[in-house]
Amino acid sequence: MSGTTEVTLRLNGRAITLPAEPRSHLADFLREQHLLTGTHIGCEHGVCGACTLFVDGRPVRSCITLAVACQDAEVTTVEGFEEDALMGRLRQAFSRHHGLQCGYCTPGMLATAYDIVRRLPDADAPRIRRELAGNLCRCTGYAGIVAAIQEVLQDPPPAKLVPVARKSRNAPAVSPSPRPSPLRGEGAERSEAGEGDAAVTAGEIPDGVRLTRSLPVAASPDRVWAVLSDIPTVVSCIPGAALDGPPEGETLRGRCQVAVGPMRAAFQGTARVSLDAAARRGRVRGQGRDGLSRSGLEGALDFALEPLPDGGSRIDLAMVYRLKGPLAQFGRPALVEAIADRLLAEVGAALTARATGAEAAPAAPRPLRGLPLLGAAAIALIKRVLRRE
Amino acid sequence: MKPAPFDYSAAGDLSDARRLLAGGAAKPVSGSQSLGPMLNLRLARPGRLVDVSALPELRAVAETAGAVTLGAAITHAEIEDGEVPDPTGGWLREAAGNIAYRAVRNRGTLGGSLAHADPAADWLIVMTGLGATAIVEGPQGRRRVAIEDFAVGPFVTALGAEELLVAVEVPRPGAGASWGYWKFARQVGEFAKASAAVLLDRQKGRLRCAVGALGRPPLLLGDPEGLIEGQVSPAAALRAALPERPAEALVLHVTALTRALAQARGGEEGR
Ligand SMILES: Cc1cc2nc3c(=O)[nH]c(=O)nc-3n(C[C@H](O)[C@H](O)[C@H](O)COP(=O)(O)OP(=O)(O)OC[C@H]3O[C@@H](n4cnc5c(N)ncnc54)[C@H](O)[C@@H]3O)c2cc1C
Ligand code: FES
Ligand code: FES
Repeated sequence: MSGTTEVTLRLNGRAITLPAEPRSHLADFLREQHLLTGTHIGCEHGVCGACTLFVDGRPVRSCITLAVACQDAEVTTVEGFEEDALMGRLRQAFSRHHGLQCGYCTPGMLATAYDIVRRLPDADAPRIRRELAGNLCRCTGYAGIVAAIQEVLQDPPPAKLVPVARKSRNAPAVSPSPRPSPLRGEGAERSEAGEGDAAVTAGEIPDGVRLTRSLPVAASPDRVWAVLSDIPTVVSCIPGAALDGPPEGETLRGRCQVAVGPMRAAFQGTARVSLDAAARRGRVRGQGRDGLSRSGLEGALDFALEPLPDGGSRIDLAMVYRLKGPLAQFGRPALVEAIADRLLAEVGAALTARATGAEAAPAAPRPLRGLPLLGAAAIALIKRVLRRE
Repeated sequence: MKPAPFDYSAAGDLSDARRLLAGGAAKPVSGSQSLGPMLNLRLARPGRLVDVSALPELRAVAETAGAVTLGAAITHAEIEDGEVPDPTGGWLREAAGNIAYRAVRNRGTLGGSLAHADPAADWLIVMTGLGATAIVEGPQGRRRVAIEDFAVGPFVTALGAEELLVAVEVPRPGAGASWGYWKFARQVGEFAKASAAVLLDRQKGRLRCAVGALGRPPLLLGDPEGLIEGQVSPAAALRAALPERPAEALVLHVTALTRALAQARGGEEGR
């Protein structure tokens, strides 16, 4: 027993395949096989936080994560942030505020700090302290660490590292599929809502705002589906949206620039798209952040393509979104809806053009008139929506 | 310290996992946030681990009119972030956000926590308060276990050696229901020293008062009505239920129950 197996993963952006003993935790695997000794080991039972690093864009304890459990994962250690503006700022702020002394806790502190800035743009000092409770420092007394994080929170550069959608959660809250779920509760009826129509359960995004729309497209369902199932093309139909690179499996990274009146917002984020070609429906879930307004957006969208009697098609859209940060104060649902409708009209026209073989409209960011920040939100939303989460 | 050697396989689906677990010698692993420390300390020395954290059946979520069923491999962070439906309108999310630290919540799972059955853990007491049902599958097929029958001792559950916890069914509270959950820990992210959960759901006729972190499975008190109406004091209820324990050993638990009751009553008045 206990032979060695091979693990393939992406380590700081590079694909590696190496033997690992099943019993090696990720911290030992990195330190001993890769000499990436920036990951520190303190307690080895999850309490001190020194070994905290990112797996699939989320901070985890590498001392209680098995290396073999990271098959196909994306692992980012403190050594992997060379080109990351947010981490650069955190490093500077830590030095300026004396957020480190011996440095033993620092790699884990930086990982946690990065996560705080990215995930909790509105965190105040007590919240930062709460979040730091899982990272022990014997030297600094924490005050400098908290001050450094607060400083970066005032005007953070966008986070390059974002969570990768988790593997296989079938039948999630966004549940347009009429297939019976294996976990159906006994004796309770399943809600009929959602059968036949794209439907989004608002539970998917807590406090989310719901929006449903139908988008007519003057082309046959076959042709529209051909466009919809080609993600880069769909993205090119969204004003201001661009992909950062080719889609990786179901995951997309990209950005959407929105110019609304004098305001500009540039959302950057990831989305995950899943398509059901047989049923001609799909699901998109995404999240992004605008570094300028320090606002975040998350959204989920279900869409279904329906034939129309006149030979054309209709895309039924149901989405839920939530804005966080300063934009949220502006993003009142009615306003977002209005802007979303304008944007959808443009997207609809572009999709029609594509589906009927006409050239697509140029995809440069065009100023949309309307309420400033708001628009940005909506756009991002949609783009996210259409582009997939 | 480093773990003693073991074999590892990642199961692809539930039947694959069941096959790998057959014989009862292998142990399931989910987020490894409880098992990991035990392996590192060599408190656990399994011969083989079967990773169940990506099984589609354990990652599933299903909603019905009466309940939400959350797969065992849903993480604390997914519940905290509202990535899965919360039938209680936020009680689960709040409880999830107070478990351990974010880096632990990103891997630790609902099912792993319940199967670990640490008497001081959050999900055990929260699910007892909510009257959840564990959905278990093994060689004899699938069965449902009321949560109060699931943990049978500290770190011991009703799961057989070849059985897996597949999901947890959480009933939807009725209109106007309220909830109190109070956990005392000396520091953020620590296990509770005392905890209590109170469900006040008159529409569905569910009144439940549970006390946790007693070093044994959660205690579901017999007369929730009396406690909620104030006819029985928390101290008297705990003394009666645990006559062998000296009163001073229960001070924190009395406080936990008092506060959870106050929260639930406040929530009811607030509606
Ligand atoms: C520093 C630290 C602080 C913590 N603080 C808290 C806290 O405040 N409150 C709290 O509640 N928890 C706390 N925890 C524990 C944490 O919540 C764990 O995530 C959880 O207890 C175990 O979940 P897991 O998925 O990691 O399970 P694992 O560690 O993978 O497994 C735990 C046990 O359950 C078994 N198991 C796992 N999945 C299944 C399954 N599907 N079917 C049958 N058996 C299964 C395993 O064989 C093992 O015996 C803390 C952990 C750490 C490291
Ligand atoms: S070494 Fe991992 S948490 Fe302490
Ligand atoms: S700087 Fe020394 S432990 Fe934090």
